[in-house]
Amino acid sequence: MVQENLPLPSNPLGMIGVEFVEYTTREPLALGSLLRQMGFHEVARHRSREVLLFRQGDMNIIVNGHPDAVRETTRGTAPAIGAVAFRVRDAAFAHRRALELGAWDMPTRAAAMELHIPGVHGAGDSLVYFVDRVEEFSIYDVDFIWNEGVARHPPALGGLHWFGLVQSVYPDRTADWIDFYRTLFGFDALDAGHFVGVLPKGTLLRAPCGSFYLQLVEPPAGADFVDWDEQLLRVGIGTPDVLAAVRDLQARGIVFVDRAPLRPSDKGALTQMYFGTVCFELVHDDGRPPA
Amino acid sequence: MKLEDFGMDTITLAGPIEAKLRAVREAGFTQIMLSARDLVGHPDGEAAAIRAVLASGLRVSGLQVLRDFEGLSGQLHDYKVDVAKSMLEMARAVRAPLLLVCSTTSAHAVGDFDKQVADLRKLAMLAVPLGIRIAFEGLSWGRFVDDVAGAWALVSAADRANLGLALDSFHMLARESPLEVLDEIDPAKLFFVQLSDFMWSAPDTAEERRETARHLRVFPGEGAHSVAVADLIRAIDRLGYEGDYSFEVFNDDYVQMQLTRVTARAMRSVHWITGHVSRRSLPVRRASMHR
Repeated sequence: MVQENLPLPSNPLGMIGVEFVEYTTREPLALGSLLRQMGFHEVARHRSREVLLFRQGDMNIIVNGHPDAVRETTRGTAPAIGAVAFRVRDAAFAHRRALELGAWDMPTRAAAMELHIPGVHGAGDSLVYFVDRVEEFSIYDVDFIWNEGVARHPPALGGLHWFGLVQSVYPDRTADWIDFYRTLFGFDALDAGHFVGVLPKGTLLRAPCGSFYLQLVEPPAGADFVDWDEQLLRVGIGTPDVLAAVRDLQARGIVFVDRAPLRPSDKGALTQMYFGTVCFELVHDDGRPPA
Repeated sequence: MKLEDFGMDTITLAGPIEAKLRAVREAGFTQIMLSARDLVGHPDGEAAAIRAVLASGLRVSGLQVLRDFEGLSGQLHDYKVDVAKSMLEMARAVRAPLLLVCSTTSAHAVGDFDKQVADLRKLAMLAVPLGIRIAFEGLSWGRFVDDVAGAWALVSAADRANLGLALDSFHMLARESPLEVLDEIDPAKLFFVQLSDFMWSAPDTAEERRETARHLRVFPGEGAHSVAVADLIRAIDRLGYEGDYSFEVFNDDYVQMQLTRVTARAMRSVHWITGHVSRRSLPVRRASMHR
């Protein structure tokens, strides 16, 4: 279906990147251990729930082991990406605007944290949160306890930073999701053939702040996609030097797919699949441009 | 054209959903268009109806019908959004790929074009995460949109990938819409076609059209406009339409007849159509005879 690039305010929500990505899992310790290998540090834990905050550089990952969240957002017991939180100028405005445009409000369950972070439904069972106040006062200060003896802002390994998220979509649904991300958040579909990383397929959408991408992937033609669901599949992590980052991470025990055409290159690399559902994609990217 | 292209609407048949599903399947049809009333009106509750649908072996072509959605404001708008959400959830539950929406007849609606476009965009947005397409149909007694051209104007202006047009032969016959209107339509945006005829000449007033539409339709081949119906189907087919055709035959007599008698009439109508239309693609020049 033909997509017209209708004029939109370039950044209607004042988006400036990703505040956190949330994984839900029944086994937060196992996922936490993998995140440590990936260079993340556990910097805080929720006061009352089994919710952990991992961080490196500007990347925050919430590991949510709260049973209610897991039941809602994962199939079986495998970890899943349960949410992404966008940094915006005014979270309440962003939320209200999204609802007016036809987003579904998030369920009333307490969010990843018990703070009232507004959010809407995204792909599959996932949520999209809106977070403001990223400067003066962090959303984690209220309900999280900072771990003793751990730097609150550990530096990133090898310049790692958020690059994007990969979402699976059903056949012929790419255009629907382009409408979704463009209308609600101001994402912009890049021309066909514009690819990054090691998996040159799908459609790339660029966040209005220019620092973050979504890749929409339909099942390969002729593939048996019985198990293909719409969901957030994996995160993409940018690094100015993919091969150096691969070496650092390999030294920490991370295993990369090492067969053509996915073999690590200066463009990108893909880790093996952990727990059946979790992998990380490294993408060559020098860093975030000014927002 | 083949049998698999055609389905029945449950509204044509009397009885509980199980009996309708059985009769339609036993007649040899493979698809069915459901009415939301079939689901929520089930004596054992909606879940029982959904189970019956999923176990029927029939492919659900869509769910109907959301009425009077566009052009409302304030509480009325919010109310209709809730109704829409409920229907979208039901559509997903029965794996209906499409929700049928009729142009408004509400005295409370406003005819402002931009407002109606915005409302249809909102409806399309609500449907995206659920994977459902919206098929918008101009009722021949609609308050602001009462024909194909009007419905297409809104759909094309809204420009959403999952929003398209539903054509209903009844409304085209009742308004004596010329086939040329189809030339304006992007064939890819034609999402659904409903077929029926009636037994007399085109009613003069909206009131007469509504009465005829709700009580006195018949299957194609049984009515007073057989040539026009065949021409219409031929024209739709020539557009390259490959979607579903469903018999939407509201008829007070059919809902007090044995189901097998009604499904037999439906099957006879399939044969009538395929007999009259299936040869259409051989001599393409036939097209000009009807212009």
